[in-house]
Amino acid sequence: MERRVVITGIGVISPLGDSSVALHTALCEGRSSLQPITLFNTDGLVCKQAHALTAFTPETYLGKNPRALDRTSQLVTAAATLALDHSGWSLEMRREHEVGLVLGTMFCSVHTIAEFDRRGLTLGPNYVSPMDFANTVINAAAGQAAIWHDLRGANSTIAGGITSGLQALAYATELIRSGQATALLAGGAEELCFESFCGFDRAGLLCGAHYDGTEEFPIPFDARRNGFTLGEGAALLMLEDAALATARGAHVIAEITGHGSAYDLAHGMASQQAIHAIARAMRLALQDAQMDPSDIACLSASANGSVLADRHEAQAIATVFQEGAHDLPVTAVKSMLGETLGASGALQTVALLAAMRDDVLPGIRRLEQVEEDFPLHRAGPCNQHVHLRNGLISSVGVDGNCCALVIAQENSGQ
Amino acid sequence: MQQSIVVTGLGLVTSIGIGREAFWHNLLMGRSGIGPVQAFDTSAYRGGMQGAEVKAFRAADYLVRLDPAGMGRASQFATAAARLAIADAHLDVAAVDPERAGVSMGTTSGEPNEIERFDDHVVAATVDQIGPEFIASYPCHVIPARVAGEVGFAGVNMTIPTACAAGNYAIAYACDVLRTGRADVMLAGGADAFSRITYTGFARLGAIAPDICRPFDRNRKGMIPGEGAAVLVLEPLAQALARGARIYAEVAGYGLSCDAHHITAAHPEGHGAARAMEKALAHCGLQPDQVSYISAHGTGTPTNDQRETVAVKRVFKEASYRIPISSIKSMLGHTMGAASAIEAAACALAIFSNCIPPTMHLEEPDPECDLDYVPNAAREHTVHIAMNNAYAFGGNNSSVILKKCEG
Amino acid sequence: MDERDIRNKIKAAIAKISDIGAEDIADTASFKDDLGLDSLVLLEISVEIEMQFGLEVNEEDLKQLQTVQDAVEFVQQARVGHA
Repeated sequence: MERRVVITGIGVISPLGDSSVALHTALCEGRSSLQPITLFNTDGLVCKQAHALTAFTPETYLGKNPRALDRTSQLVTAAATLALDHSGWSLEMRREHEVGLVLGTMFCSVHTIAEFDRRGLTLGPNYVSPMDFANTVINAAAGQAAIWHDLRGANSTIAGGITSGLQALAYATELIRSGQATALLAGGAEELCFESFCGFDRAGLLCGAHYDGTEEFPIPFDARRNGFTLGEGAALLMLEDAALATARGAHVIAEITGHGSAYDLAHGMASQQAIHAIARAMRLALQDAQMDPSDIACLSASANGSVLADRHEAQAIATVFQEGAHDLPVTAVKSMLGETLGASGALQTVALLAAMRDDVLPGIRRLEQVEEDFPLHRAGPCNQHVHLRNGLISSVGVDGNCCALVIAQENSGQ
Repeated sequence: MQQSIVVTGLGLVTSIGIGREAFWHNLLMGRSGIGPVQAFDTSAYRGGMQGAEVKAFRAADYLVRLDPAGMGRASQFATAAARLAIADAHLDVAAVDPERAGVSMGTTSGEPNEIERFDDHVVAATVDQIGPEFIASYPCHVIPARVAGEVGFAGVNMTIPTACAAGNYAIAYACDVLRTGRADVMLAGGADAFSRITYTGFARLGAIAPDICRPFDRNRKGMIPGEGAAVLVLEPLAQALARGARIYAEVAGYGLSCDAHHITAAHPEGHGAARAMEKALAHCGLQPDQVSYISAHGTGTPTNDQRETVAVKRVFKEASYRIPISSIKSMLGHTMGAASAIEAAACALAIFSNCIPPTMHLEEPDPECDLDYVPNAAREHTVHIAMNNAYAFGGNNSSVILKKCEG
Repeated sequence: MDERDIRNKIKAAIAKISDIGAEDIADTASFKDDLGLDSLVLLEISVEIEMQFGLEVNEEDLKQLQTVQDAVEFVQQARVGHA
């Protein structure tokens, strides 16, 4: 008898809010967090805007100044504080019953890694910072959060690029299903920093790459799209064995019913292959959830404004959902949160959970014109009020990874 | 009933040999891959100029599909190890459904040269010379991506960067994928390339030994950073039998835990490490005294080896003194994310050949480390059950159990 | 540089790296017991001291530095050694 995996808490740190209610309200109001970058010097960069956390103060969530933690670790630890509070997993309970952490991140802190390295280059290897070194490993943030919150269960870090967050949720789901764990915080985090931003800017993938002083913003699925914008944030969900959640009288928000992943060997450069891989991940997730496409009430797309990838994903949805794709409410929250890389899949999941709670799916900001053969007739700029019971979250990487997650709302009324 | 997952192929790129045969032969002979660091100038470093680098490695000798020039050193190691593993398994890739074949790799640093070059530009104020290739080549998920590209596997593609325990995590994940029927074959392992950042950090922590790595020895001074890769071919037992594959061992189960104590130092009483061992044993339905051999994390630092010994005694109690436990880091140095994958391969070979690799350079026993560490010479020993332990910064603890395949 | 300057610089280094204010650091404070600083933080402080005073704190030295006063005396002796 397979164990069921339920979601009992949410912790989110985003430029649009640090609660799922605040985030959902902002998304439904069509608010974007895109603004000129102040976090680092943008001289020499073509794109100068991002969805940054300008008001993040770690003390708010951590109670004191966390000197040992770099910014990524602070984001993860803060999101963990919120998720633990929300799910009711007190420190006393965590001492009795181990809770683990699975974190998806693309870089963890490439900024810390680079700063550590540069200090060695400029001051010599003997004057590097030992505390920075501790944060140069990609599993440092997950480790720091575990120390802060006494999380002694299985602890892992997944670094699959854009799909990391969703892969982390899938990985955690399997740890619970297999009995390796009974309670895990799982999700993703990514910080905005010069190193990764410069990398994407140089690769010409950002929509501000054609910045000419007029407003450039990401418009997923729009015919005029010309790239994505980078964002940052963290989202962690408390996942539990359903039996444990019931036994402790926890409020169950939703259930993770299925997940699937696939790899596109052509890295998104060959349309048919890309569409096929994205579709395969979705089909595997539906199969795992023992659902048909027709059971899905809403879909959170990975679309972020990328010229090729958005199209591939839309066509993949059409392949999987067939005629149902015309009627399927689809959202693309990266239109407002930007591309948050390792955090994206987890942020999408938090946003979709909120949408399902309120039966309102946020519109795709500024989406105005689509290509002729665009199959998703219910992907548009307006919010959609519709009963949302089961949802699918899709995550598509720039490098070939594709992942999908199916969630079912608990007690959907009706 | 969940199916058994077995190891049918081993690919190794190490400082003591490339390929299973060379690696195992040299391991049993006690050969060391440690010597003066070649990759960069260590004269400015205080103490410790030794490393365990892979010598005379030409990726082009092993790769078939991809051009080695298009990838970093860790990816070269990983793809070469993957090809070696597939050959060792006599796996006919053409007969494998590519969508049901996946890759799971662990690493600590990914491709450190890429960020080091980026930093060189920042320091030299030549940032304008950073090109589009940085973002494509730096993130650590390039490693399993390149492996997939080299062999044509389009199933799950997973990167687990849990530092010094990464290999174990990657292997554990791959087994779960196979057990739940999501794939028919998985390539799993770990890879890391020698890194200025890693070396500088460990040197600054005072963790690098000035001469050699002597785990559990009274005069041990630290670890020696190394590099390398190991890839294991994993598949369901029934399938392995059906195609007449040589089976090295079964991966029976694993346990994971987190110290939640300190970001670089292990818990002094070994709680987290002990829990990972206990969970692994429970996962496999085994009693501690059924273990025939323990492959230690054994980095050679004063702290690790003592705390690890405490943890082993916590779990195994009196049996601790009867179960041989050795650290092959004494020969290979610490290959970071590759370490526990290389050690898992060594466990599979220990089971297959009933021979245990030694802990080399163990000259003066430490009263606090008083177990049987198989000092200085390999030992013939019937190995039914081997436990592979690996611990990482961040308190990531892992134990993977392999057992003799009776099927 | 007199003893007070050295002490102030050392306290500033501790304050920079930990979350303790310089004014809260007693001259006789023990790093571990009074200030609750672990080995990694102490190592970081020793690197800062090395940079501030242009001297070397090796592993053996670090083991001997248990209190703020130990650090002050260490720096004084090292500076005399360089004179």
